[in-house]
Amino acid sequence: MLTLYHWEPNANSGKPMLALAEKGVEYQSHYLDLLNFDQHKPEYLKINPDGTIPALVHDGKILTESTPMMEYIDETFDGPPLRPTDPKERWRMRWWMRFFDSYFAPSLSMIGWSVFVGPAVRNRDRAELEAAIERIPLESRRIAWRKAMFNQFSEAELAESRRRGAFGTAALEQHLTAHPWIAGNTFSLADINGFNLGYALPLSQPDRCNDEKTPHIMEWLRKIYERPATKATWAKGRTQMASRVTLLQRKS
Amino acid sequence: MLELYHWEPNIYYLKPLIALKEVRAPFTSRYFDPTSFEQYSPSFPQNTESGLHLEREGPVLVDGVTVLSSSFFILEYIAEAFPAANLLPGDAYEHYRARAWGQFAALQLSPGVCALGCAKYLAPTLKSRDPGQLKARIERIEPQERRAAWAAVIDGSYSEQALAAVRDRLAAPVKRFEDALGQTAWLAGPAYSVADIDAFAMLSPLPDVAPEVVSEKATPRILQFLHRMRERPAVRQALALAKTARPQEAFVPGAEPSRWG
Repeated sequence: MLTLYHWEPNANSGKPMLALAEKGVEYQSHYLDLLNFDQHKPEYLKINPDGTIPALVHDGKILTESTPMMEYIDETFDGPPLRPTDPKERWRMRWWMRFFDSYFAPSLSMIGWSVFVGPAVRNRDRAELEAAIERIPLESRRIAWRKAMFNQFSEAELAESRRRGAFGTAALEQHLTAHPWIAGNTFSLADINGFNLGYALPLSQPDRCNDEKTPHIMEWLRKIYERPATKATWAKGRTQMASRVTLLQRKS
Repeated sequence: MLELYHWEPNIYYLKPLIALKEVRAPFTSRYFDPTSFEQYSPSFPQNTESGLHLEREGPVLVDGVTVLSSSFFILEYIAEAFPAANLLPGDAYEHYRARAWGQFAALQLSPGVCALGCAKYLAPTLKSRDPGQLKARIERIEPQERRAAWAAVIDGSYSEQALAAVRDRLAAPVKRFEDALGQTAWLAGPAYSVADIDAFAMLSPLPDVAPEVVSEKATPRILQFLHRMRERPAVRQALALAKTARPQEAFVPGAEPSRWG
């Protein structure tokens, strides 16, 4: 029995969704609406007391960290391998996943939360929002939600996030100039991870990520977009956030 | 032959030393002093990843032409390169747990441990250096996050209030380790793994730099865990590689805390 609790095919939720699709593994999908705070409701907190998405439940075992979760998926299920056999490529896969998870993605998502997540919930009743914050288990997530809901990101931290977004984009372009895939010569979990954070870069940072300035990122994103697993995964999206992926369609 | 660039057997540097001793891999020790900024000299092994890596001054393992950085991933590399030692034991779920602990320690534990250690030991050490030269050297560091971390050590950013907040924030992650050690013998499950090596390196300074958080009274299981670890021959051998009398005082600016607050 395999159940995935997830939101849109995007960021952390999209990582196990795309990994499972690449492996050809069927699973019971349990959609949680992040903007409705489904992830903080008591029934989900029984699965993941931290109230973070995604969570994978496999034969009673619960996994809640999306990057190690992808390694578990690759190790456990049949299907094409998603980790290189060469130990050095494996190391590079993991190194870049950490860079994505801890440096690049948090900066992009801070901007995303300030322009998308915050405004999407902000017009609700103030008392309702305060109550929603009270139900969040982790203090770090309470801080993030409070900032998003009440537009409390400072200009300095948004500016720093934009700077890091630009720096990360440049580092990624440079890396992909030397390697066809993130780990080296093999498509891997690091590409799945990177696609989830970066598929909308040409839209969110059009002046920095485009065919002229970052041709290698654009080609890499399009190659991943064209994979059947990516198409099938993003077709599960329910919001306009996921449909942004079609910007990667090649113009014939 | 593997070459390990490391400093004293403490924090990040201690991890690959223990793992290499556990797997009994021959390696060439390349000892450097990060407080003299030897890691920025042109002869120090470098690649894109070692320049950008989030632990900043941490160890690097050189295998042939490949320069490996980021201490938990070096541990996994050693575990996979020397599978007979079984440092990643058990099934896929135990492997998941080991990796999840590695990630948790890197994000929730290491930034606080390094900040407290730097405030207590590195900042006073750097005060004895020529301030003009030190400042000029730090100003040449790239990228800017790494430069800012060194600047924070010398400019007295560690107020008592800030350090108290760091200790407060360590309480929740420390409790997770304490609780987990009550459920299984080792962090990933019934068997010893890279997760234990990783956690040991970051938990062992805490009774010294955050006695309010980690102590015999507050966290007896963590104390027992540290004791069990120190009894392992590989850990003893790694700790014996110290070149100073007080390796437990060797700290560098580590990974930054989450920018989300």
